[in-house]
Amino acid sequence: MILQQTTEPAPAKSEMTAPILAVRGLGKTYTSAGHPLTVLADITFVLAPGAPCAIVGPSGSGKTTLLGLCAGLDRPTTGQVVLDGHHLSDLDEDALAALRNATTGFVFQSFQLLPSLTALENVLVPLELRGVRGAQATALDNLARVGLADRTDHYPNQLSGGEQQRVALARAFVHRPKILLADEPTGNLDDETSGPIVDMLFDLNATAGTALVLVTHDAELARRAGRVITMRGGRILSDT
Amino acid sequence: MKPPLPTSLPRLLVHPWIWRMAWRDSRRERQRLAVFAASIVVGIAALVSIHALRATLERGISLQARELLGSDLQISARLPFDHTARAAFAAASTAADYETNFTTMMTFPSGEARLVQLRLLGGAFPFYGKISTQPADAWAALREQTAPVLFLEPALLDQFGVAIGDSVRLGEADLVISGTVLQTAPRTGRFAGFAPDVYANRAALDATGLLTRTSLAGYHAHLQLPAEAEPSGVAERLRALFPEVNWEMETADSRRDQIGEVLNRFEQFLSLIALFSLVLGAIGVASAMHAQIRRRRQSIAILRCLGLSSRGALAVYFVQAAVLGLLATLAGALLGVALHAGIVAWFREDLPVALALLPPAGIILRTASVGFLACLGFALLPLLQVPDIPPLAVLRDNSGGISRLRLVLRALPVGLFLFALLTLLSILGSTSLQRGFAFPLGLAGVFLLLLLAGQLLILTARHGAKLFPGYLTRQGLANLFRPQNQTLLFVVSLGLGVCLLTLTVLARAQVLRQIAVTESGTGPNLYLVDVQPDQADDLRGLLAERLLPVVESAPMVNMRLVSVKGTEVRQLRDEGRVPAWVLRREFRSSYRTTFNATEREIAGQWPPAPWQPDDPIPLSLETGMAADLNVGLGDRLVVDIQGRTLEAKIVHLREVDWSRLNLNFFMLFPPGVLEDAPGFHVITTRLPEDTTSGRLQAAIAAKFPNVSAIDLSLILETVRELLGRVGQAVQVLSAFTIVAGIFIMTGIFLNGREQRTHDAVLLRTLGASTRQLRTILCLEFGLLGFLAALTGSLLALGAHALIARFAFSADPVFPLASVGLILLGAAALSLLMGGLLSRGVCHAPPLSILRRE
Repeated sequence: MILQQTTEPAPAKSEMTAPILAVRGLGKTYTSAGHPLTVLADITFVLAPGAPCAIVGPSGSGKTTLLGLCAGLDRPTTGQVVLDGHHLSDLDEDALAALRNATTGFVFQSFQLLPSLTALENVLVPLELRGVRGAQATALDNLARVGLADRTDHYPNQLSGGEQQRVALARAFVHRPKILLADEPTGNLDDETSGPIVDMLFDLNATAGTALVLVTHDAELARRAGRVITMRGGRILSDT
Repeated sequence: MKPPLPTSLPRLLVHPWIWRMAWRDSRRERQRLAVFAASIVVGIAALVSIHALRATLERGISLQARELLGSDLQISARLPFDHTARAAFAAASTAADYETNFTTMMTFPSGEARLVQLRLLGGAFPFYGKISTQPADAWAALREQTAPVLFLEPALLDQFGVAIGDSVRLGEADLVISGTVLQTAPRTGRFAGFAPDVYANRAALDATGLLTRTSLAGYHAHLQLPAEAEPSGVAERLRALFPEVNWEMETADSRRDQIGEVLNRFEQFLSLIALFSLVLGAIGVASAMHAQIRRRRQSIAILRCLGLSSRGALAVYFVQAAVLGLLATLAGALLGVALHAGIVAWFREDLPVALALLPPAGIILRTASVGFLACLGFALLPLLQVPDIPPLAVLRDNSGGISRLRLVLRALPVGLFLFALLTLLSILGSTSLQRGFAFPLGLAGVFLLLLLAGQLLILTARHGAKLFPGYLTRQGLANLFRPQNQTLLFVVSLGLGVCLLTLTVLARAQVLRQIAVTESGTGPNLYLVDVQPDQADDLRGLLAERLLPVVESAPMVNMRLVSVKGTEVRQLRDEGRVPAWVLRREFRSSYRTTFNATEREIAGQWPPAPWQPDDPIPLSLETGMAADLNVGLGDRLVVDIQGRTLEAKIVHLREVDWSRLNLNFFMLFPPGVLEDAPGFHVITTRLPEDTTSGRLQAAIAAKFPNVSAIDLSLILETVRELLGRVGQAVQVLSAFTIVAGIFIMTGIFLNGREQRTHDAVLLRTLGASTRQLRTILCLEFGLLGFLAALTGSLLALGAHALIARFAFSADPVFPLASVGLILLGAAALSLLMGGLLSRGVCHAPPLSILRRE
């Protein structure tokens, strides 16, 4: 199943010369109970536009912290992140928010839908923030493509886990991001439900040219991404 | 990169998407928000109604000021105006009328007697407003007839069962009642209010023979001025023409100010209650927004992930608060207008002017706007956290947060704005700037102390929880300090509510006690005034015959101040160095060597040491007057006693409790000085409880027709009746404080429910019994409620002690039973809410609750 291409056509392969995401010497240290605690150190990798990539590793290896830093959700202690040509450290919080709206889609393990908004309204938010005209038709179409055309007016707590994650997917792709960051997207779903979600993710990656960073424990899912970055103790163990 | 939404907060606040998002986001919270909004509705209603009432009163008094005085200028004196004065008045005015009045006893056919204010009017007064009589054309007879004419107030006729045409006795004459006065002339006498007016013509007055024997007569000139004349200017010119006399001048403006002053204290008390309600309501809104932001933390983080700026997030919730506040303000204003109409209707008969049921629109708008701003300001305090919620919170809920110092620094401008706003409101409702500032300062102090108490509770619970072996106690105590606890919010909100409510109850008790003290005990309750020196012994004998005690018997001599420490009073008055009342007043002084129970010696020696004939006369001065005159021991005053001056030296200072209605004097002289000066005696007695003074008054009126009997119980009855009505108005408005407090409590418990449900469900899943869950929750809320209420009560008692001492100048009254009742009531309510909370959790399957979350 392929989600609808929205307002703009996908960029041609010939234009995709600069990386969509470049991470260089990235490190993050927290202070915990008065002691420094390094959770990420010396992380460097580059992701080409439209390319998929999985980040795997045991709990506490720094996967989620890395994902947050790549999206500009947090500030690194050392190193830098360049997202779609923008040095994140040069941007203030509001510019980061604007950049995320323009370039990034998110899918979270716990879905993270806005509880007081219906499925349709949740999908609409990224487009509305951009001030896109005719956003409702696009959102409805995206919901239909994830199989939820008849659940548009339902609130998150009226949907099953799988349905909620499909709404989250529709929301993540509705504004056609250049990169999708997914944090354990099937972590809260059973095998039967997670299959179609994963298919949708990779379909979009393949056809819409959206780069994909997938944080997962699932080795099978990671292999599907092709490129696997393995982390341990806050460092990259391998990048294959 | 071009941002998707405007970047500036003002533009964001009017952006349609922000409003749409605010609306969508509020969907599941509207009921909860409505509960809190109700508290501010109540606060704004109280504020609007009281300020509107004040405006309506001022407007009514201002519009009818001339009717209240009946003339443009009223000049009052203790002696009749001579020919020169009358000529000057005639020259300055277009019309002049003269009045003579005094209090005296009127005896009815039944033998009962009543103190009345006998007024002799020329017939032209009042120039503004009119007198209506029954029969309608009878008033003209007052001027035209040479036969005696007497008009009474209808209430007197009803009270003593007499009718027009019946006879009543005044002094030495039996006079026929010519008619009744339905609408009386503006009052002039000092006993106006509890001595009903009786109007007589010259023939009637002469027949009574009283005028030559009374020492209480007042003489008034009522002037109607040319339209272009400024009354205060005319008054000044007349003063300049007659510098040696001490006339009291009253213009429509000064009469208006005087009435305004009487109403001020009542208004000040109500203003305080209105402010209490508003602050409570605003705290309710702040609590609502605090809880809303806490619950919306994840949503805000998601929106930030999706590209919403921190200002955009702030705008969404600011719009929610503003709409909530606006709707509540509208509802509050409407309720306030209705309340105003109710109060006006209720008091209509007791007020000297006719009032409009609907207040001026400008006042409603202005007060409601201030209330709205206060509401918004309080809501802004929790909203300031919104920009600090990081988008990373979608991944890690414990991320973000800023230092307390930064939080305080950021909240400082809002806090200062609120302080300024409350100060402004307080000053608007106060009689003095000092009191205006005292309220917000006191409130800030109470707020900080409650925060401190909350922190102490958290600290104690943290360290104390380990000492308890039982899990349930430990868990209950742990709820007080663990993350996401509500201890501070709860202690501050409930504590402030209890504090304000207790203060209201204490203030009311203080006023009521003041009345009760006056009524009961061993103090006098019947005053016999204007007893001539040759009548004093006979009158004391008459009391003894009836086995009534002579509580006090004192000679009185009228005098005025001429100079203070060598400076003439006129100069002092012009320089404004001492209060005008001290200089204008005609003092009634006495001579004695002993003190009564309401006097306390402060400094000096009394009785004084013997003095030489050339020395100034020793004087004992009341401390309040000494402070106003800025004099102390050794300073000299000169007084004028009916044309004769006397130099006195202050050798003794006394403090007097004026709230007790004993015979007290500002100036006391030693015996042997004033005996020959013209004056009269006042004798007080105490009638046993449950007996009326009717028979005694009748006996006195028969034997001593010039003596006025002032029955304190009658005066107090009037005061009590008015206070009863005032009390009811105060109770209605105090109830508003309670209602606001209950709404806040309900709101806090609704928040508490959310905070505690998750834990309770987990414990339930792990096998906790209903009893165990109930114990944990009841322990938490019982402790919170008790501590908050206890702190609030203690603060109220402390504040009340200060207010009683400095505002009422009285010993504080502590009705501990009422205070205890409020304390236990609040704690019990809290406990009950804890019980209800556990009930909601215990009677539903855990999964359904988790699903609802």
